Amino acid sequence: MCEPFNYSLILHEHQFLDQLEGCVAMSKRLSEKDGFRIVETSPIPKKAVMINGLPDVGLVGLLAASHIISSLKLAEVGSLESDLLPPMIVLHGGIPKSPVRIFAGKSLVVVISETAIPVSLLRPLANDLVEWAQSNSTELVLSLGGMAVANRQDIDAPKVFAAISEKKLESKLNGAAEVLEEGYIVGVYGLLLRRCAEASVPAITLLTQSYYNYPDPVAAAASLNAVNRILGLSIDVSELLRRGEEIRLRSKDMMHRTQEELAKMNKSHEYDLPPLYG
Amino acid sequence: MESVASPETSLYHSSGWNVAAACIEPLHNIMVGATEVVLTIDLPYVDQKQVKLRCPANDILEVYAETTRKITFKELGAKHRHGEFTCYHARIQIPVPVDETRINKHFKRGVLEVHLPRLR
Repeated sequence: MCEPFNYSLILHEHQFLDQLEGCVAMSKRLSEKDGFRIVETSPIPKKAVMINGLPDVGLVGLLAASHIISSLKLAEVGSLESDLLPPMIVLHGGIPKSPVRIFAGKSLVVVISETAIPVSLLRPLANDLVEWAQSNSTELVLSLGGMAVANRQDIDAPKVFAAISEKKLESKLNGAAEVLEEGYIVGVYGLLLRRCAEASVPAITLLTQSYYNYPDPVAAAASLNAVNRILGLSIDVSELLRRGEEIRLRSKDMMHRTQEELAKMNKSHEYDLPPLYG
Repeated sequence: MESVASPETSLYHSSGWNVAAACIEPLHNIMVGATEVVLTIDLPYVDQKQVKLRCPANDILEVYAETTRKITFKELGAKHRHGEFTCYHARIQIPVPVDETRINKHFKRGVLEVHLPRLR
């Protein structure tokens, strides 16, 4: 038997569509507001290599990228701003700065964050960074991170693994890292790699064996040695190793803040076996 | 193994630097396994001979370690804060009861690893 026509449903559909339009308009406004504004204070080199040192496992990327900035004396050229970042600034040389900043020089662009980035901002951050990299005709996006291993104390020379956005990048590794074929990458570096692959921006993510929640300057040094081989640089890592204890203690609070965000993003998913079907 | 963050430590870490006691709350990690709990503690500037452990209860581990030298806020880059530190101290809640009489520890690369057999 045919159901009687339900007028109340039509009314609800209209209401629903009105609400939907409102939601779409709101989500557009929100997406503009939710993203990052990339503020350039000096010209950004074109066709450069973009290195990302964002807080992650063992703070490997942040320590390594900070060392690159100081060793090569890179200049500050911009910052990333977002209304949704924690309401904070960092003081450097008595000048208030954004905690997420961009440095450049010698055909390198280095992005670092001196605050743990909230999980909800990682996707917009990855999208906006890749869009910006595209607009600067970036040759390679090289992200530096850690790969937590339970027996880190027993490892003398942390091994470096690489996840790449396209197969042909394997030759660029120059034997510096073993390519990861299967597995999960949780966090901003996974999102960056995927977005780069979609946008055809060449990208390599280096993941170095490290402590999970202790700052790991030795892993950062291993990561930098891999960067040296890939980019043909000769950044000296001895200072990073010599000041290891001081770096571990100075980074303790940053590591603790980062650990809170790692827990929220289910970082332990990376320990899972790779999916069954490729 | 399951990684467990101690709620006590989370609260403590809102500062982590106890100026009055000249003590630093160290970073630590707890892994709960089927037969044992493995606890690691990051202790830069510590000699392994200075590490002291005690279990005031079968679900609490207290660690104390003097640093090899005095550490100041100033040398860590915080000129606006005053204080110096000569030790680490943490009172860590273990999520399951353990046999405090059979603690096994070793110290390598500035990280203390403590194995605590679980009580059955």
